[in-house]
Amino acid sequence: MADHNSNETSSDGGGWLSAFAPIAGFGVTFATMFTKVVTEQYPEQKVPTAPRFHGRHQLNRHPDGLEKCIGCELCAWACPADAIFVEGADNTEEDRFSPGERYGRVYQINYLRCILCGLCIEACPTRALTMTNEYEQLKGSTRAGLIFEKQDLLAPVLGGMIPAPHPMVPGTTEQDYYQGKVTQSVSEQQEWVDARHGEDEKAGKVESVKGGDR
Amino acid sequence: MTETVREPVTLTPVLSKHWNEAESWTLESYERNGGYQALRKALAMTPEDVVGAVKDSGLRGRGGAGFPTGLKWSFLPKPDGNPRYLVINADESEPGTCKDIPLMMATPQYLIEGAIITCHAIRAERAFIYLRGEVVHVYRRLLQAVEEARAAGYLGENVLGSGQNIDIVVHAGAGAYICGEETALLDSLEGRRGQPRLKPPFPAVAGLYARPTVVNNVESIASVPSVIDNGSSWFSGLGTAKSAGFGFFSLSGHVKRPGQYEAPLGITLRELIDMAGGMREGHELKFWTPGGSSTPMFTAEHLDVPLDFESTGAAGSMLGTRALQIFDETVCVVRAVLRWTEFYAHESCGKCTPCREGTYWLVQVLRQLENGQGQPSDLDRLLDICDNILGRSFCALGDGATSPISSSVQHFRDEYLRHLDEGGCPFDPVKSTLFAGVNA
Amino acid sequence: MTVTEPSKTAVDLVTLTIDGIEVSVPKGTLLIRAAEELGIAIPRFCDHPLLAPAGACRQCLVEVAMPDREGNVRPMPKPQASCTMTATPGMVVKTQLTSPVSEKAQRGVMELLLINHPLDCPVCDKGGECPLQNQALANGQGESRFTEVKRTFPKPIRISTQVLLDRERCILCQRCTRFSKEIAGDPFIDLQMRGAHQQIGTFSPGVLDFHVDLPYPVVRTSEELEPTVESQTQGSTKDESRGASHDHVTGTYAADGIATRGEAMLDESGQPFASYFSGNTIQICPVGALTGAAYRFRARPFDLVSSKGVCEHCAGGCALRVDHRRGKVARRLAAEDSAVNEEWNCDKGRWAFTWSTGADRLTHPLVRDPETGELEPVSWPYALEVAAKGLLKAREAGGVGVLPGGRLTVGDAYAYAKFARVVLRTNDIDFRSRAHSAEEEAFLSHAVAGTGLGVTYAALEAAPSVLLAGLEAEEEAASVFLRLRKSVLKGSKKVYSIAPWASRGLIKLSGSLLQTVPGQEATALGSAAAAEAVAEPGSIILLGPRLTESPGAYQAALALAASSGARLAWVPRRAGERGAVEAGALPGLLPGGRPVSDPAARVDMAAAWDVESLPSQPGRDATRIVDAAAAGVLAGLLVGGVDPDDMPDPAAARAALETASFVVSLEVRASAVTAYADVVLPVAPPAEKGGTYLNWEGRHREFPQALTSDALSDGEVLDSLASEVGVWIGLRGELSGTAELASLGRWEGAKADRPEHHTVPVAGTTVLSTWSMLLDRGRLQDGEPYLAGTAHRAVARMSPATAAQLGVQKGISSNVTVFNDRGEITLPLALTPMPDGVVWLPSNSPGSPVRSKLAAGNGDAVSVRLAGDQLMGA
Repeated sequence: MADHNSNETSSDGGGWLSAFAPIAGFGVTFATMFTKVVTEQYPEQKVPTAPRFHGRHQLNRHPDGLEKCIGCELCAWACPADAIFVEGADNTEEDRFSPGERYGRVYQINYLRCILCGLCIEACPTRALTMTNEYEQLKGSTRAGLIFEKQDLLAPVLGGMIPAPHPMVPGTTEQDYYQGKVTQSVSEQQEWVDARHGEDEKAGKVESVKGGDR
Repeated sequence: MTETVREPVTLTPVLSKHWNEAESWTLESYERNGGYQALRKALAMTPEDVVGAVKDSGLRGRGGAGFPTGLKWSFLPKPDGNPRYLVINADESEPGTCKDIPLMMATPQYLIEGAIITCHAIRAERAFIYLRGEVVHVYRRLLQAVEEARAAGYLGENVLGSGQNIDIVVHAGAGAYICGEETALLDSLEGRRGQPRLKPPFPAVAGLYARPTVVNNVESIASVPSVIDNGSSWFSGLGTAKSAGFGFFSLSGHVKRPGQYEAPLGITLRELIDMAGGMREGHELKFWTPGGSSTPMFTAEHLDVPLDFESTGAAGSMLGTRALQIFDETVCVVRAVLRWTEFYAHESCGKCTPCREGTYWLVQVLRQLENGQGQPSDLDRLLDICDNILGRSFCALGDGATSPISSSVQHFRDEYLRHLDEGGCPFDPVKSTLFAGVNA
Repeated sequence: MTVTEPSKTAVDLVTLTIDGIEVSVPKGTLLIRAAEELGIAIPRFCDHPLLAPAGACRQCLVEVAMPDREGNVRPMPKPQASCTMTATPGMVVKTQLTSPVSEKAQRGVMELLLINHPLDCPVCDKGGECPLQNQALANGQGESRFTEVKRTFPKPIRISTQVLLDRERCILCQRCTRFSKEIAGDPFIDLQMRGAHQQIGTFSPGVLDFHVDLPYPVVRTSEELEPTVESQTQGSTKDESRGASHDHVTGTYAADGIATRGEAMLDESGQPFASYFSGNTIQICPVGALTGAAYRFRARPFDLVSSKGVCEHCAGGCALRVDHRRGKVARRLAAEDSAVNEEWNCDKGRWAFTWSTGADRLTHPLVRDPETGELEPVSWPYALEVAAKGLLKAREAGGVGVLPGGRLTVGDAYAYAKFARVVLRTNDIDFRSRAHSAEEEAFLSHAVAGTGLGVTYAALEAAPSVLLAGLEAEEEAASVFLRLRKSVLKGSKKVYSIAPWASRGLIKLSGSLLQTVPGQEATALGSAAAAEAVAEPGSIILLGPRLTESPGAYQAALALAASSGARLAWVPRRAGERGAVEAGALPGLLPGGRPVSDPAARVDMAAAWDVESLPSQPGRDATRIVDAAAAGVLAGLLVGGVDPDDMPDPAAARAALETASFVVSLEVRASAVTAYADVVLPVAPPAEKGGTYLNWEGRHREFPQALTSDALSDGEVLDSLASEVGVWIGLRGELSGTAELASLGRWEGAKADRPEHHTVPVAGTTVLSTWSMLLDRGRLQDGEPYLAGTAHRAVARMSPATAAQLGVQKGISSNVTVFNDRGEITLPLALTPMPDGVVWLPSNSPGSPVRSKLAAGNGDAVSVRLAGDQLMGA
């Protein structure tokens, strides 16, 4: 095409413009010199992602620190890359991780398989699984290191939260949690945790209480 | 309805004839008034002739459905030497219905004589009276009456020298409306959970203890002695052509003299209200049920509907148990229907889904409507739920539960909507009570 | 769904029209099944092909029109439940596919079903395989019009240690209660309350809201419920709602033995719910209302992989569906096999599968270090080398005895039989690691080996009467029990049992007891009563495990069969026993029923096995192998899955293992045998190998390997071992043993002779009667505390007169001690109508290890005293 065109112009006897022909190809180059640079200087400079960027997953907590995950495995079912492995278990009075009967005892996402498509978070019935904008942790040199366990995925313990396991807020039901009626942990829960911690210290196993939010 | 001139209908007290007498419930009183003559007559007849006489009389079941009694008896298979039973349904629990219990209270011997004649007719040796459990006084009276009859030789071995052994067992239920359904009654009588059975097999083939069984209402059986005594033609001469005989009409509610009115079938409510002294002073009829709460309600426009099986059916309801509950204009129809529906939700046996879940739902919708909390579209929802129950449930309880709702919406849709417009019930419940105006 | 077997006689067909398509079905077919014939699926919940119609859920409503007397087809006024209505000629049925009325009715019922059903699906075990979920999608409305308040109940109540009930999810279809009444005969749950509050329950006062004075005294001992189970109870469960079933009710023990209350039969602890078949209710529940504690929240159906399986527990051969995830079996379900187990199985078959995945599972070959005396993990080649050398040396030094055990697949048993003859050159092989007798072996050789498929489940069902001799069907062959009960409930079947007392199982079969003192079964089989029991043509005699301890019983059974024309079937206890008989894992028997004593048979087999000749010396049976090893005559032992405590004399077995100079053990788990072994070669449990069991019918029950595993079957290990020795036995590959055995064919020559009658006089004061309970201390039930919680309580049973002699006073709970010179067992006493001078003990229940404590069996003499110290008799 280009040849054909140039032949056409020359056959028209179109004169002086043909003198620029050798450098006309640089037009794009010159024009681009004056546009904004899009190359990001990562990792020297870090640019925030788009707000809905699909980054690392997070397992959310209720405002009192109990986990939202109920171990239903719907995320694992939805996953097109078969990257998620979940195993549920019973909550008991001694070890309560979520309101209701069931919690996710094992939660693994294999980031070597994950394509960050977000189907899992759409499938989640309790809004336990969401995606953060974090992407830098999703690198590594070992296979095992890129299989994230539950403790790697759990949301941080914010103010008012006590890491699970601990009882539900006294007098509340599972429904109250979902209807947003529980807004923070209460002293009874803290007392339970303290008492339990004391027992564990006596029994010589300390780490389990604090270990909830690794 | 009919433009032809009706003959004035009068009361025909038969079963209630001697209720006024002192100690009418005793055997002595019963015999004094001609009791147990029919039994002697019947025992002299062959069982086939007794069945034939009852068939000819046109006696139809008085428990609500109106199935010809004689025909029912004739459905029993041929005797095979093993037991067959008569079961008398005395589990009268329908809201508004109060005919059997007064009858058993006042003159229990009618029932006992009827039961013995029926046992003879169907070649049963044992009859069971399944009585509603709450009426302990009636239970005592029945037990006493059976004892008296047994002592007089009407029951037990070799009844009146006929060579037949006939006995009656009075059984008190535990208070469940569903046990008025004949197969649930049989299950309950057998000591099981009272829930309706799958039909077929019908009780006539495999009823109590899987043996041929006739299940009849108290009033049907109590009417049998009069049929035998006075003859089939006497009985069929009463009432209308297809609804022969007499029956109790139990008037309750806002009439001056509520009570039992024993009259030929085909009488109208207008006539009955006249006999009962008219409506409550200063009030007018608003709606009424022809046969208990399970029959679709009627309004003032149905005052002249002859109360027989055919005419009530043609007018869109059922004769049912002739439990005429009469409500005047002070009554909130939504409230009344809600009460009935609560009854059905409480009494649903739980076996089938439509009745169990449907009545539970209906109560909630009606409560909202009564409180003015719903939307007009809730009325359609209500009717659609009724539609999903009617004809879908296992037995007639579910069907009955929808009758008051659909008929009330049909006749009183505006009143339902008024609840919503006014955000609550526009009626003062006190005004409908007996003590209305007492403290005013 | 089960398609009932077409009967051989011509059936009356009726022709009807469904959705415009004409179809002919046998008379009496329900409309819902007739529609299935056309591929029209009508939604349903309460309907189950093996249960009587109920018509409770009303989901299957269809429009029906029928011809009246004049032949005009008239529509019925209401839609009809197609699961209760039978097809009649000329009927016109319109399902949801063609009738708006049916469709509206079904949508309406579905909506009503869902109004009180919780939105639990994400946490519900049934989610993903739930008929309610599926049919709500197919036949329900997308949106709910229910904005009102749902009925709620406290979350799951525990109706047994294994079965949990979530009443909110229940749609009250009554499948579970109907199963319990109609199939299992243990109505451990029933409906209670009414209307929207109707619920399934265990009659607990907490639910019924009134206090029941139980008419029977009740006791629950602490060791009966494992503490782990108690601590596992649901956090959200209120104490009151958990009900009386798990309260530790204290009181005296029922001295009356079996008490009945209503239809529910109580076990000895006064609990009406202890059913051996409770797992089936979980499987047929169309919603997630009934769930099993063992599988709770373990996996979702969509990430399970299913394999076919066959139960490894008893000789029933029930078909299983093995569901596994990531190399672990998550659950097992009863699979459908109309010829064998229909759609049911027992709780042991369903839940006892964790035994092979415990901490004691062997993963590497072990060789005993000569210096430390400890077993050390080694490589396969090294282990095989040591084993081969040791076995060769032992073979030369006196011989090697082979004890394969009774749990092998046919192929594995065949490998043992061939290995013994070809490599070890001996007939000293006996799979019977239990009580056994020469008479039994003679019977097996004469009447069982090489007979193929004999009496079948279908024949049992059809037989007019069945005589159980030394067989406790519910405890020892649960699928036989269910099949018998099915035909008993149909009406005409009679069941007779030769036993000392009428067990719960026999009562549920409406059976007649031919009361017999243990050891006297031969007399009972020869009695006029037994002859009368099987007089009707087509009757069947089932010979159970206890006849082996009863001298002359087999002979008497053969005589009874011959005189009455009744057919005989041998029902052993273990899954591998019939297969081992066929494979020739007996001292006097070569594969296919070939007698060792017959030179022609030996030549036949030697040719098939490509060896010069086979040992002609008749082998030792298990007892004599043990004795010879203990005496140092046999230098080596090759032992399969054998528990010394099952042997007739556990102490002698241990002594033999200790004395034998070289012991090779092929085991799945570390066991009492591996503790003595010089070389331990790990083998695969059934889930990790394929194979074939021969069930009691003689039916081949083939199953594939469920789990990916590098564990080797016994046959493959023996093949490698033979190669190491330098003999090629050609049994590599999981089905090669089965195939080779099949290719040998049955022995057409002369059968072994009929067993001879050996009378052994019974000495002593009290005769022991004993059999194993379905759920007990068995090694194959390890690791499943929920299942163990449903086991029946161990009691000793005696007649009131015998107990009175001991000084037991009526109404006072007593413990009795059964003892002999070897040891003693103390259990609570249950007075039971049974012969005087007999005491019954469960063989291997907690607190009652009869073999290992007493070294005694059925018919042996023991002594009894009241716990305390008075002696009885002795």
